[in-house]
Amino acid sequence: MQGLLWKEWHEQRWKLAFGSLMLAAFAFVGLRARVIADDSLLRYVCGIAVLLLPLLSSTALVAAERSDGTLGSLLALPVQAWRVLVAKTVMGVALCAGPIVLTAMVSFAVSGGREMPAGAMAGMFARTLLAALSLFFWMFALSVRLPNETRAALVAVGVLVGWLIVSLGLYSAGARGTEPSLLWVTNPFFLFFMGRDGQSSVLAIAICMQAIIALALWLWAVRQFAKPQEGRS
Amino acid sequence: MSDQPVIEISGVVKTFGRKRVLDGETFAVQAGQTFAFLGRNGAGKTTTIRMLLGLIKPDSGTVRVLGLDPQKQPLEVRRRVGYVAEDQAMFGWMRVSQIISFIAPFYPKWDHGWARQLSERFELPLSTKVKHLSKGQGVRLALLLALAHRPELVILDDPTLGLDPIMRKEFLRDLVTYLQGERVTVFFSSHLLYEVEPVADAVAILDHGQVLRQDSTENLRAQIKRLIVPATAEAAVRELPGILDIARCGRQVAVVVSDAAPAVAALEHEGIAVQEIDLNLDEIFEAYVIGRKEPANAGPPLERVA
Repeated sequence: MQGLLWKEWHEQRWKLAFGSLMLAAFAFVGLRARVIADDSLLRYVCGIAVLLLPLLSSTALVAAERSDGTLGSLLALPVQAWRVLVAKTVMGVALCAGPIVLTAMVSFAVSGGREMPAGAMAGMFARTLLAALSLFFWMFALSVRLPNETRAALVAVGVLVGWLIVSLGLYSAGARGTEPSLLWVTNPFFLFFMGRDGQSSVLAIAICMQAIIALALWLWAVRQFAKPQEGRS
Repeated sequence: MSDQPVIEISGVVKTFGRKRVLDGETFAVQAGQTFAFLGRNGAGKTTTIRMLLGLIKPDSGTVRVLGLDPQKQPLEVRRRVGYVAEDQAMFGWMRVSQIISFIAPFYPKWDHGWARQLSERFELPLSTKVKHLSKGQGVRLALLLALAHRPELVILDDPTLGLDPIMRKEFLRDLVTYLQGERVTVFFSSHLLYEVEPVADAVAILDHGQVLRQDSTENLRAQIKRLIVPATAEAAVRELPGILDIARCGRQVAVVVSDAAPAVAALEHEGIAVQEIDLNLDEIFEAYVIGRKEPANAGPPLERVA
């Protein structure tokens, strides 16, 4: 497992560094410039994080390695497929969480308590992290069998657009996220968009539900991952 | 080692969608053999190898490797098998030393001293990134990674694909030196017959998912021959058992038979003059895989026969 984690770290560390620096730099410059209110700026920053980080991390892990052809070599080694997937999942979580955590730290350092209460700011970043992770597991599981990054990216965009449509549909129907309907509590965007308005009990239910869904998606991904690709004979 | 075959495949069927890739495939590889597994592209060679490693499950039939079922004990099989894949993709960003260090912990019997010796003998630059290695160095690195855990069986899936002829010869020299010398069983899949002929002890010819023939290289060469007879004897020739290929050209008929001795005896018994031509593995393979059972007036040119 150590070797697999080392490999994933070496393969993804520059992406992690790039994502972290870009997001943190955007927050830093924005908060220093004070062109718009801190609350609005951080909402943009978190929105970018929720939309881009799961997409970039989910496509970089399995599909990229499948298209390189190195995944076949990896799976021909005496190692269980689930261990390979654990290493990739750990790195995927790091790719989502790293930039958000760094950006949160930068934001606190620059503007903590200035316009936005520290608790609200922490809550915003926490919800962003949870929504990003929830989306990551959807994208990761649905792209685990795909042969290249392009198709994985298309699936990831499909996941984003699909959940956004569900969110907007529910919103336009008058739901405000205060009632624990199934579509709300299973919706990754609920954590991001609606969580701040919702009751904490509904938010807790949503977090639990989405943790269960993430686990189920991951177990399904393991099954899919271990299946052979139908290829040349 | 016991008399149990190192590889035993019996009645294996595998379909991908509507395509039946393996259709009752059956063969066995004995310990210490260098076994050439021959077939055209798409014949089912890679599918067979992936089954041997437990990467694909057969629809029916049995697969045993080193006495183990690769479906039930894939990790145990892979720990005891060295595998060089066709056009093997390796982690280009790793240095040679890094990839050796990365692969080693997966194998409990990894021999670091042997790995070091192999890297010296194969002249592998340890500090060079894998993506900067030449094609030949890449194949040699793959061979090192397959051998350094001292496997009981080495599976090579068209390993020299893409190498120039000199590199292919060097690779085969390494193979002969380090594998046959160690009495390691080698399962060598290829469609380049001239490359396996000098090293193979036994051969299986695979076509459309079935093993058409498995035998020792010596037996194949001794038994399969091309017989040249006058065209007037065509009727008698067509009665011969085991015809693999037959072609008429002018006043002669050339026929390839799977067992020459009884065929020659039968023709001579009929008073027909027969000329026997020895075949190399390439021609034997061709006769099995693309041989025609019916005479053709515009048959293959006889210069092949002469």
